[in-house]
Amino acid sequence: MHDPSSQLTLDLKRMIIEALELEDVTPDDIDNQAPLFGEGLGLDSIDALELGLELQKRYGIKLDAEAEDTRQHFASLDALRALVEARRDR
Amino acid sequence: MERLRISDWRAWCAHDDHDMIPSRREILLPIGSTLPRLLKRRLDAAGRATCDILHALVPHDGCPLIHASRHGDVAHTLSMLESLAQDIPLSPARFSMSVHNAVLGVYSIAHDHRQPLQALGACGHEFDALLTEAEGYLDAGHDNVVIVFSEGELPDTYHGYTPHPGQACAVGLRLSRRVGDGPHLAATHPETPAEPTPLEVIRWLSGSTPWLDGLQRFTQVAP
Repeated sequence: MHDPSSQLTLDLKRMIIEALELEDVTPDDIDNQAPLFGEGLGLDSIDALELGLELQKRYGIKLDAEAEDTRQHFASLDALRALVEARRDR
Repeated sequence: MERLRISDWRAWCAHDDHDMIPSRREILLPIGSTLPRLLKRRLDAAGRATCDILHALVPHDGCPLIHASRHGDVAHTLSMLESLAQDIPLSPARFSMSVHNAVLGVYSIAHDHRQPLQALGACGHEFDALLTEAEGYLDAGHDNVVIVFSEGELPDTYHGYTPHPGQACAVGLRLSRRVGDGPHLAATHPETPAEPTPLEVIRWLSGSTPWLDGLQRFTQVAP
């Protein structure tokens, strides 16, 4: 777990579980490539807003809800990690 | 007009220390087990118990549902007010659930319920209001109505400022006008009007008290 990329992956999984109050879900249950919304983890549009707020609070990343690429950033945990690595300011 | 009858009821208390609720009127533990987990997480304990009670009482072909709570999910309401006071952005999930009909909304999504839903707050007169509204639906031609009255935990900040049952609790009744469906309700004038909480309704339904005082005095009359 010294690889910064896998540490960030674990941090993001913990952030998702905590912010979205996913009872009974552990970091191991979240597949890095699986969709976070709809299929896969099964999150909904309110969760997307909640995650957007968490990214702003923890990493200083502001997403435009209307932008086309926002959907791609939330496609999977790997996509979310790539976003944070590219745009984090803290 | 036929009188209002109680065809079934269910109840839940966070701490039923005196076995107040008869076992056949209890809901299955853990509470919230009738909800998909992604919906369950959005509700507090009283909201989850309300959905379990509805699941136990709503007939297969559905019926109008009425949910009353004097204070609603007051713990989450207070935490949002505290966030606002500290200029912390509000949780979108919490904000979306901060409406009085949120519990019925979650129930209707979970069970694809497509009949009337109504949420009430009545400053202590919730039980009277529930019965008045239920009579309206029955008079409009519905065979059954399910009503649920719940209160969540009261945060310490509010202790001493408002009446509260002292614990999270919920009670639901299925009402109809069919003869033979159960005891009917008789209403008379109480000596002093009262503001019953769900706990008083549970004590009355389980036979611990002979009547329930609200704006009216309610008595169960055996069929």
